Amino acid sequence: MSLTPQPVPNTFTHEKPRDPHWYKRAVFYEVLIRGFADSNGDGTGDIRGLISKLDYLQWLGVDCLWLLPLYESPLKDGGYDISDFMKILPDFGDLGDFIKLVDEAHKRGMRVIADLVMNHTSDQHPWFQASRHDPTGPFGDFYVWSDNNEEYSDARIIFIDTETSNWTYDPVRGQYYWHRFFHHQPDLNYENPAVQDAMVEVLNFWLDLGIDGFRLDAVPYLFEQEGTNCENLPQTHAYLKRIRKEVDALYPDRVLLAEANQWPADVVEYFGDPVTGGDECHMAFHFPLMPRIFMAVRRETRYPISEIMAQTPKIPDHCQWGIFLRNHDELTLEMVTDEERDYMYTEYAKDPRMRANVGIRRRLAPLLENDRNQIELFTALLMSLPGSPVLYYGDEIGMGDNIWLGDRDGVRTPMQWTPDRNAGFSDCDPGRLYLPVIMDPIYGYQALNVEAQQKNPGSLLHFTKKMIEIRKRHHVFGLGEFTELNSSNPSVLAFVRELGDDRVLCVNNLSRFPQPVELDLRRFEGVTPVECTGGVPFPPIGELPYLLTLPGHGFYWFTLPPTSAATEET
Amino acid sequence: MRHTLEELLAGWITHQRWFAGKGRAITELAVEAATTLPLRGPAESFHSDVAGSCGTTDRRRPPTDDRVTVRHLVITVRQDARTDRYQLLIGFRPELPQRLKHVAIGETPDGHAYDAVHDAEVTGLLLSGIASGADIGGLRFRHMPGIEIDTALRSLVLGAEQSNTSLVFGDAYICKLFRKIVPGVNPELEVVSALAERGSPNIAKPYGWIETDIGGENTTLAFTQEFLPTASDGWALALTSVRDLYGSLPGTTAAEAGGDFAAESTRLGMATAHLHKELAAAFPTSTVEAPEVKRMVEGFRRRLEAAISEVPGLAEHAGVAHEAFDRLADTGRPITVQRVHGDYHLGQVMRTPGEWVVLDFEGEPGQPLQERRALDSPLRDVAGMLRSFDYAARHLLADHPEAKELEPLAAEWAQRNRAAFIAGYSAGGGRIHGDDAVLLRALELSKAAYEVVYEARNRPSWLPIPLAAFSHDLG
Repeated sequence: MSLTPQPVPNTFTHEKPRDPHWYKRAVFYEVLIRGFADSNGDGTGDIRGLISKLDYLQWLGVDCLWLLPLYESPLKDGGYDISDFMKILPDFGDLGDFIKLVDEAHKRGMRVIADLVMNHTSDQHPWFQASRHDPTGPFGDFYVWSDNNEEYSDARIIFIDTETSNWTYDPVRGQYYWHRFFHHQPDLNYENPAVQDAMVEVLNFWLDLGIDGFRLDAVPYLFEQEGTNCENLPQTHAYLKRIRKEVDALYPDRVLLAEANQWPADVVEYFGDPVTGGDECHMAFHFPLMPRIFMAVRRETRYPISEIMAQTPKIPDHCQWGIFLRNHDELTLEMVTDEERDYMYTEYAKDPRMRANVGIRRRLAPLLENDRNQIELFTALLMSLPGSPVLYYGDEIGMGDNIWLGDRDGVRTPMQWTPDRNAGFSDCDPGRLYLPVIMDPIYGYQALNVEAQQKNPGSLLHFTKKMIEIRKRHHVFGLGEFTELNSSNPSVLAFVRELGDDRVLCVNNLSRFPQPVELDLRRFEGVTPVECTGGVPFPPIGELPYLLTLPGHGFYWFTLPPTSAATEET
Repeated sequence: MRHTLEELLAGWITHQRWFAGKGRAITELAVEAATTLPLRGPAESFHSDVAGSCGTTDRRRPPTDDRVTVRHLVITVRQDARTDRYQLLIGFRPELPQRLKHVAIGETPDGHAYDAVHDAEVTGLLLSGIASGADIGGLRFRHMPGIEIDTALRSLVLGAEQSNTSLVFGDAYICKLFRKIVPGVNPELEVVSALAERGSPNIAKPYGWIETDIGGENTTLAFTQEFLPTASDGWALALTSVRDLYGSLPGTTAAEAGGDFAAESTRLGMATAHLHKELAAAFPTSTVEAPEVKRMVEGFRRRLEAAISEVPGLAEHAGVAHEAFDRLADTGRPITVQRVHGDYHLGQVMRTPGEWVVLDFEGEPGQPLQERRALDSPLRDVAGMLRSFDYAARHLLADHPEAKELEPLAAEWAQRNRAAFIAGYSAGGGRIHGDDAVLLRALELSKAAYEVVYEARNRPSWLPIPLAAFSHDLG
């Protein structure tokens, strides 16, 4: 392993050819190192533990791991408060472990990306300590300082549950510092070229270690400007373009994934210039889609989804959305109207403990009342709507949550591997676990774990694996155009994914009751649809509306193979 | 054995859904105007390149058979004293291909006649005629200024329509052929064009129309609008919500049920208010003076009495209605009237991904054009929609084994969505306060009286739906 940059570092395998656009077809898996597997019995998951589970992830069909922050941190914000960008959190292991993780993942054809917080550091970071103690020193200008707390007053406060201002007074330096998130996370001052260079160095450090990319946390907030809401500023985009250029020059098959919880029309800016195919981030999360999937199924009508898809702009050719049902954060409701938010709270967070900031803190299965049909339908939607799907660890087995744990810890409990002590996550004393394992009668680890589900071909785990397999067989899911179809039934969402002759038809019943639907498929006259899970050919498409019936929360995926010659009647 | 075309049509027409004179013998059927439509020449483009519209599949269709002819007919059908006009599109082929056998009319000296609206190989001539603004015989094809039409799309006949035949071209246009022809400009064409000119987002964009002169009067034969491929009608959506409520755990209120529809009802109310505002701006308005209001109330009373004589069970509820009518007569205030939709209910509104879109500004079909264009209070539309919410909530209860247990849920759903619709209507700038509410209630009860008679005659098991309007306190 050389730390000297090479034009095309050869860190990725072995048999598979290099593919600069791999992320467009990939299935991502968000893994919490702390919660996945504990190799040394200290009650906290670690990198070696994760390495020991790579075979499982490969078996499941995962293409890319997304790691939450694994850097040195006082852990006041789950590691998003980084106190040293170049060190691994000792709880998790060391740089040697990390290099091994990347290597072992690559051997299995999997990639690894990690969260990187660009916007701020921990107040424990040496940069901040230097900045507050020595205002005229080399780090004096690394953060946003002010003599008063009145500037940038148009910027909203994001963590409204805990913070009252974006400014906090530092008695040491005798000035206020700017922070968009917690007060112990001062924002870096990107107006300072030295900060810009320092962060590029951080990126290069990890890229040299073989990492396949970053999820860039909280990118809209890098710069501030008076009279604006301090989000999505042109300076921020210019800096991202610079980062992309530096990454592309030395590491052409890496990926930058923007976390910008904004409307799609604003997020699309983070892909950069469409003429170039995209020259900022390769990927960005599609935040508003997820709450609307929940809303559509609960309302049993497709309009919440149709609406957001219709509002989603086209993205540059080499870019991709990241889509998800659940992740480590709350189910965020920032991107819905007030009326929709009230509705979501009524439907999905009846207990106030289920709410956090502007969102809902639950896992997928409890959100859906552990209804297997609904979980399958949601998984099918995740795998078929445009974008690369991001699974959240544990959701593939339908893990539960613990709303009695503070903040967002309720959805970050140990992965349930076996029915043994500590769910097979760790062999420490149960009292030493970083968080207790789920033990309730429905979601408890004795009944619900990977081992049991691997043995049961009818389990949710096998279902999820199967859907991933099908998705990966049909690249059109990752690459194809999305067109919603004319459907006679408001409870049925039907769409076609299309890439040349490669076409998939997806029909989803959002209602719990069985439904018929007539689809206008005249464009595909003469084609014989073939169902994807079993390969059964369905009746050929004619000129008349195509009739399908779906069970409650049922769905179909069909391939539409091209016909050799148009069937003409005379 | 060959018949004349007229003989064949007389046998065929009585089986058509849109034929208004069912059950009575036809005294005479005559062709009033016949126009042969060119399948070649200026209109050729429509079948020359179909592949262009078919995405990736290259499906060049063979040129249309030379021996096909298509004739546009206006016929008169006399049944004793009554005479109606109909519009037909008849194709003739030496042989009928299998796909057209189901619309065969019979063998004539000109070949096998068939209902050509079902022949996607020839219906393109309607689109290309509209696109080019052609004059063919007495038929005038016209389009809205500055629009473009893709004439290569193939058509499909929409099923199950009472008085028209609609052709959907690709998923772009819907062309409504008015089967029974009433001389004059169709109110829908008139209203939709005017609203489109004002930029209203709550209508389906108009593209063009076909007209001719009948009895010296300019008469609309067909109207082509934007097709809304991913839309569904309000009735289907509302029933989805009601079904969900009925299937929820006991004790779930309409507000708590996952399928709550109130937000949609509010949006629909706002769209309705905007539409009324545009209609008032686009067309003349007027005032119905107090004495006329009194006469109108007399009309309501007569309607109610007639309903009671036909459905005696209504008598015990009549007090509620009379009281409402009295209050309206007593207001002594004039009523502002304007162009309205006229037949407004959940089945006439479509939810598209962006907006509620209102269809069918034709007024009540079957009524004379004069009446369908008459000015009225916009609250008549509001009353129609409120009744429709009641129907949506209760119609699943007809013959339902648990109807009694579900009735309170139905009432709650109706109440919640009626209130939400009215809130949206007010928020959108529609006026409902003070005397307006009195008028609205009278209009609604009058409409319910009409429904009582209709259900008693046609669907007795639905009779409790309009009856409930009299026994419940309407919100």
